[in-house]
Amino acid sequence: MAVDNLLLSKKVILVGNPNVGKSVIFRLLTGSYVLVSNFPGTTVEVSRGRMQLGGINYEVIDTPGVNSLVPQSEDERVACEILLREKPDLIIQVADAKNMRRTLLVTSQLVEFGIPMVLVLNMIDEAEERGIEIDVEGLSDFFSIPVVETVAIYSRGRRQLLNAIQNTADPPDNPLAGYDAGSKFIASTRELAAPALLSIEWVAEGDRELALTIETSIGAKAFTQLRQWKERYRAAGHGGPAGEIAEIRGRLLDKSVALFKKKRESRFIEESSGSKRVWLGLLICGLLLFVWNEIGGLLRIRTPYSVILQMTTNWLDSSLGAGYFGAGLIRSLLLSKNPAGRFEYGLVLETIHFLLLIAPVIVPLGMLLSRSRAFVHELGILTRRASTGIPILLGVLVLLYEFVGYTGAQTLVGLIEKALFGEHLVPLLRSWMPSGFISDLIVGKYGIVSMGLTYAIGIVMPVVGTFFIAFGLLEDSGYLPRLSILSDRLMRLMGLNGKAVLPMVLGFGCVTMATMSTRILSSRRERLIAILLLALGIPCSAQLGVMLGIAAGFSQKAILTVIAVVASQLLLIGYLSSRLIHGKPSEFIFEIPPIRIPQFKNVALKTWYRVQWYLKEAVPLFLVGTLVLFSLDAAHVQGRSLLDWTQAAMAPLISGLLHLPAEAAGIFLLGFLRRDYGAAGLYDMARKGQLTGQQVVVSLVVITLFVPCLASFLVIIKEQGWKRALAITGFIVPFAIGVGAALSWVLRAFNIQFY
Amino acid sequence: MENRTSEEITEVLEAVWTLEEQEAATIEKVIQNAPVQVTDGLIAGLCDDGLLSVDDEKRVRLLPKGRELAEKIIRRHRLAERLICDALGARVEESEVAACEYEHLLAEGITNSICTLLGHPRYCPHNKPIPEGDCCRQARDELKPIVVTCDQLRIGESARVAYFCTREHSRLLKLSALGISPGIALKLIQKWPAYVVQCEETEIALEPDVAKNIYVWHTPQE
Repeated sequence: MAVDNLLLSKKVILVGNPNVGKSVIFRLLTGSYVLVSNFPGTTVEVSRGRMQLGGINYEVIDTPGVNSLVPQSEDERVACEILLREKPDLIIQVADAKNMRRTLLVTSQLVEFGIPMVLVLNMIDEAEERGIEIDVEGLSDFFSIPVVETVAIYSRGRRQLLNAIQNTADPPDNPLAGYDAGSKFIASTRELAAPALLSIEWVAEGDRELALTIETSIGAKAFTQLRQWKERYRAAGHGGPAGEIAEIRGRLLDKSVALFKKKRESRFIEESSGSKRVWLGLLICGLLLFVWNEIGGLLRIRTPYSVILQMTTNWLDSSLGAGYFGAGLIRSLLLSKNPAGRFEYGLVLETIHFLLLIAPVIVPLGMLLSRSRAFVHELGILTRRASTGIPILLGVLVLLYEFVGYTGAQTLVGLIEKALFGEHLVPLLRSWMPSGFISDLIVGKYGIVSMGLTYAIGIVMPVVGTFFIAFGLLEDSGYLPRLSILSDRLMRLMGLNGKAVLPMVLGFGCVTMATMSTRILSSRRERLIAILLLALGIPCSAQLGVMLGIAAGFSQKAILTVIAVVASQLLLIGYLSSRLIHGKPSEFIFEIPPIRIPQFKNVALKTWYRVQWYLKEAVPLFLVGTLVLFSLDAAHVQGRSLLDWTQAAMAPLISGLLHLPAEAAGIFLLGFLRRDYGAAGLYDMARKGQLTGQQVVVSLVVITLFVPCLASFLVIIKEQGWKRALAITGFIVPFAIGVGAALSWVLRAFNIQFY
Repeated sequence: MENRTSEEITEVLEAVWTLEEQEAATIEKVIQNAPVQVTDGLIAGLCDDGLLSVDDEKRVRLLPKGRELAEKIIRRHRLAERLICDALGARVEESEVAACEYEHLLAEGITNSICTLLGHPRYCPHNKPIPEGDCCRQARDELKPIVVTCDQLRIGESARVAYFCTREHSRLLKLSALGISPGIALKLIQKWPAYVVQCEETEIALEPDVAKNIYVWHTPQE
């Protein structure tokens, strides 16, 4: 805890089901003082913040979403541990007012702690429009806790919540005790320390770690009592107490049903039906324009986009000539020409790209989402049905490509790598330094700045950054779970289920991060298959962006071939491993959250955390990689540098089997450090015209299938142990080279060219 | 002639039926398998009653009268297992013992009610066939079963959850944490590519195997 403990006098914990707006409430209370850290030993993030109220300092802790305090997932465990360890002064349960029964299951568990508690019915507006009426006073009496209604994203109900926080000092009643007073079971648990029923369930579930936490939390004496109770219960010839407790809770919930009722069918509030029609019309026009531009681009026919692009560049050529405006850096940022004399990137062309391709879809979509609840609801249905969901998915992927592959990998890479580093920073540094060892080390061929930082900041970061923005938007909008539904059957072929699509998609951002996130999968077998597939053939966004950049120089056929080969290998290996690795897919029971408008602040924060993580993680490795190459290049043995020797040693493999130029050896060496780093090297070679179309396709396939980068290798060791990590690598390397060699042979034998 | 208790008759007939499902029943095997003391006298008595016949190789066969009686006993037993296993959530091994007690208590009429409640199941938890009763034949001809599995609902239909057919405690917990528990109303809103049910205002995706094992009381659309 970085926050000063001495100043804090009260501790507040936020608890609630997933997707109920806990983090929005959290920000409403704490403002910007946030500290996000992983819960010890897990990847589950816990946020802590501070607030001041009536002269008292509060520490506010946001916990991961729980459906029940009898944990079924890592997230739920962490929430239980926090409740037990932190000993809060106040618990705030944040609830989705639309789903009261689920809410009250958690409430009935929370009241057991005997800690003062406030129930926040968030999204009360959505409950109202769905015709759900909640008897707030009745609910408040039922549990003897204050109940506050809020709409957190509009700050509605904030003052009432603050009042409740200040004025709640009494612990809640446990209605179980009252309603089931006659029950022998309840009576027998009365001697146990709070949370009595939960502790029984935790101990009965056989969760050893949680049992340990209970022991430290309630004390050894109370824990012994708990164990003795369990022995007595078992001696009396009962089965598991869990069933009995579930039944008691069920009876309690049945009694509360009268407090919330769906009185009528859903009626969604519209801003105004006129403006909805206008935006809907614009969205359809935008989509048509988008499809026209995309398909036209694929078929190389004239589209509005290509025509306007052509007109602009012609006009720029004729009116500006050689001496166009501005100077130096600014000029390179706005416009730049490639050696062939074509405009290739720059903010001017990006503006046209954005206005003609991205904005016509995104702007009306955003307006509709923010104005019409009915549209949000309908979109939620359309995105999960196969007939409409798959076309929408394709659209999302193409949009993702336009944003990450063009805006990120071309415009931003062009601006940062070429304009900023290549044309300005590196020449500037070179002019400052006398030539010699130091200059070579920093700005030479394998220099720390000219290669290491240029690759990390100039090529990879813009791509990763734009991907994380896009991923954050999709994540926050609730779209990703719909992807799980659409892909469940495909994943099942590979021994996984729809849930596994989430790590796979995240893998397109960063394979290392995705490997860690395979923990959301429920069985060891599924984790192993997912990790194998991630390591084998999911290119991370950095690599993907670079690959798209390379392929842009060749025909569309090139990138399609690479995708087809890699995808077929993924399916093949997935299918085989699902047969070879014993076990069956775990069951797929998955909550689909409603579609929501992404919150700008949420997306920005998440992107920032992820980029930060990336910088800490990747940049040092890039620098180490560059240093290795530099030393190999600088150290000479018998008149040739070590790099030459390595290339010579790998030549039979590289030139013989794969028919690639010998320099590609250095790139595969880099690939061991980071695949994207290797791909960036290929990018360099392709741009200098050192690779033919066939060689580009083969090398892209090999580097995609190649070993995971060092960081993800380390994470695989952590997740699966040494033996499996080595086995995975030992399989992948020869397999990648084998597929590459076969592909190379086929392309040459049938003389398939890519121009 | 010895006195034969109804329990003895029941257990012997049950043992013969079960053995006949796999292979020929011999006296030796009947003695091994029946939970009561089987004497030669008891077998002989049952033969006298026209329930069984024994051939030269000591093979035991059910005669039509015995078959009819045994069918009812087996039906009661296996329905009881189904009931205990599905509706009460006991494990298969546990259901075996309890079903033995139950089968003696169930009257014919109640057996049919239970069969209807369970949706006329065709196999017991051990995957052995449950003999059909009148109610099954009738239901097949004219009525839709009252309890159906969730995947049999039409899209847009609502139903109340009757029980789950699962032995996995974790699945029960997962479903009930998402709000699906016996007595709760749910609505099927999608079947492909995955089943989606709505429960309160939550949408929950289920794989086919899970949907097939949620039994609901089918209430025709009003």
